[in-house]
Amino acid sequence: MSSRNHAQWNATPDLQRGEWVDSRIYSDEQIFEDELNKIWKKTWIPVCHESELKEAYSFRTMTIAREPVIVVRGKDMVVRAFLNVCPHRGNMIERRPSGNYKKGTPSGTPKTMTCMFHAWSFDMKGKCVNISRKEAGYQDRLNENQVGLRELKCEVYFGGFVWVSLNDDIGVSVAEFAKGSLDVLLPSLSEEPLEVFHYHKAIIPCNYKLWHDTNCEFYHDYLHYHNRITGFNDAYFARKNNGFDGGHINVGSFEVQYENYEGSHGREELSFPHLPPNHWYMIDMFPGVNFNLRGSALRCDLMTPLGPNSVMIEFRGLGLASDSKKDRQTRIDHHNSIWGPFGRNLHEDLLAVTGQGASMHPLAESRKILHGRHENETIHDENGMRHYYEEWGKLLDRNPSDPMQKFKPYPEFKEQVAQREAAAAVE
Amino acid sequence: MAASSNEIQQKIRELIYNTCIHLDDYQWEEWHDNCSENFNYAIKAYSPEVQADIKYHGGDKEYMESITKLLNKHNSDQSPLRRHCTVYRVDVAEDGKSATAISSLVVHQTQLDGVNSHVDAGTTSVFLVGRYNDKFVIDGDSIKFEDREVRLDTRRLDKGTHWPI
Ligand code: FES
Ligand SMILES: [Fe+2]
Repeated sequence: MSSRNHAQWNATPDLQRGEWVDSRIYSDEQIFEDELNKIWKKTWIPVCHESELKEAYSFRTMTIAREPVIVVRGKDMVVRAFLNVCPHRGNMIERRPSGNYKKGTPSGTPKTMTCMFHAWSFDMKGKCVNISRKEAGYQDRLNENQVGLRELKCEVYFGGFVWVSLNDDIGVSVAEFAKGSLDVLLPSLSEEPLEVFHYHKAIIPCNYKLWHDTNCEFYHDYLHYHNRITGFNDAYFARKNNGFDGGHINVGSFEVQYENYEGSHGREELSFPHLPPNHWYMIDMFPGVNFNLRGSALRCDLMTPLGPNSVMIEFRGLGLASDSKKDRQTRIDHHNSIWGPFGRNLHEDLLAVTGQGASMHPLAESRKILHGRHENETIHDENGMRHYYEEWGKLLDRNPSDPMQKFKPYPEFKEQVAQREAAAAVE
Repeated sequence: MAASSNEIQQKIRELIYNTCIHLDDYQWEEWHDNCSENFNYAIKAYSPEVQADIKYHGGDKEYMESITKLLNKHNSDQSPLRRHCTVYRVDVAEDGKSATAISSLVVHQTQLDGVNSHVDAGTTSVFLVGRYNDKFVIDGDSIKFEDREVRLDTRRLDKGTHWPI
């Protein structure tokens, strides 16, 4: 058989469960709503970095699963998170992306978050400190104690990232949630304070998981001239793709040959603490976070799913807060050469997932998407994606290969090989 | 006789406009030829999110030459970019050896292969809005770019591009 007709094209692949997914997981409206409710509203998200909130009274705003969120640093320097929604008539309290409440706002006094609409104001701990003309309107029926902000779980962890969860009952710290997947970079990121030097965002017409998949598989280095020429040696092909509970993975390191790309230089002098020269680790956390440390620069991608076929990705680059001006500039240039909006790799990755989005839009015919490479869990194995979808299936109780059916645990790879061999022996 | 300040201003305008044609038409070598050996290029934007000036891209002449030379090795969005530029102001130094210019810039992108070409090809949209902040070195009749900062207002570049702006 060479090319295939419609029935052959739609037939179940001759692969084991988990080795392919149905494309509707990337396009179905109802699945997307389920994901927001059962995954995104339940998990920890690194919404920003503490260096974006350097001073007391500084704030950042963001969105998790369509809910507006604000993160503020209090007078006590503690970072807290709240729903950015006014308890009076539901206005979004803060409209700016960032700022500082030391100065007053047109409707409000200094050192408060004030809703501009009717000037209710709140302190940095979320306590309501003013209801305008309270007694005149509410007499003794409602007071400030009853209308505090909705506080969200918040933790600063892993090199100063600010993690927020909408889930009051999450019951685990970020470290516990990570199930060991972050440990490989913990020493490098914990030695001294980090600082954000790069931020940009992109809104791409594809499902958020397609971006996460691309971050989870390195087989697509065929897409990147830069990575082929600076990688693709024995040490590269030996890199391990490690799965952790909770759907997280990380990818082991090797020494990148940056000089092989004309005009590019080694990054050894500016390696992050405890990182061997020119090494490169990558962590992909469920459900849509990526940490990528290439020698001198740390990248973090945060996905905000906007719809079944739309994702906002925020890209951050970080260096050491103690960097000299010159070192910082070098880190920035290293980062931008491949990862900026004009970088060699990022543009290629974004083009590829846009192409996937164009073929897997809502109401497109369902297709089989293959995740079936097995290479001893090394870099071109597709175990990272399989690992992710096993967790995804469990949480949604949907079978990734047939998402309108209930989830069944994936057979382990070794078991799969045994099954295949047994089947072959019978034939 | 040395050129008058007005003549230099006029030549600088022509150079900026010709450079737009070079960049629109992928004439990278012609562009590099109009840049001095000390040329430095940067695309920057202020991010109100992290309250910092962000350098998105750039480097010295050697770096810009090497990345334009390697473009054909890369997978790129081939949707053409067209620069619409107006030189607002040229200031020539008193000694006539250097100058600066500020130009307003809009870059339009006409879809070719960026999404689904059957549907999208031919659609034009604004790719970015910003300014060119240029510095020139003047030596007799020769005027070359010494520095170009592309200062962006647009901060959502979505898929981005491999091409210098
Ligand atoms: S809606 Fe915020 S004070 Fe009325
Ligand atoms: Fe990639």
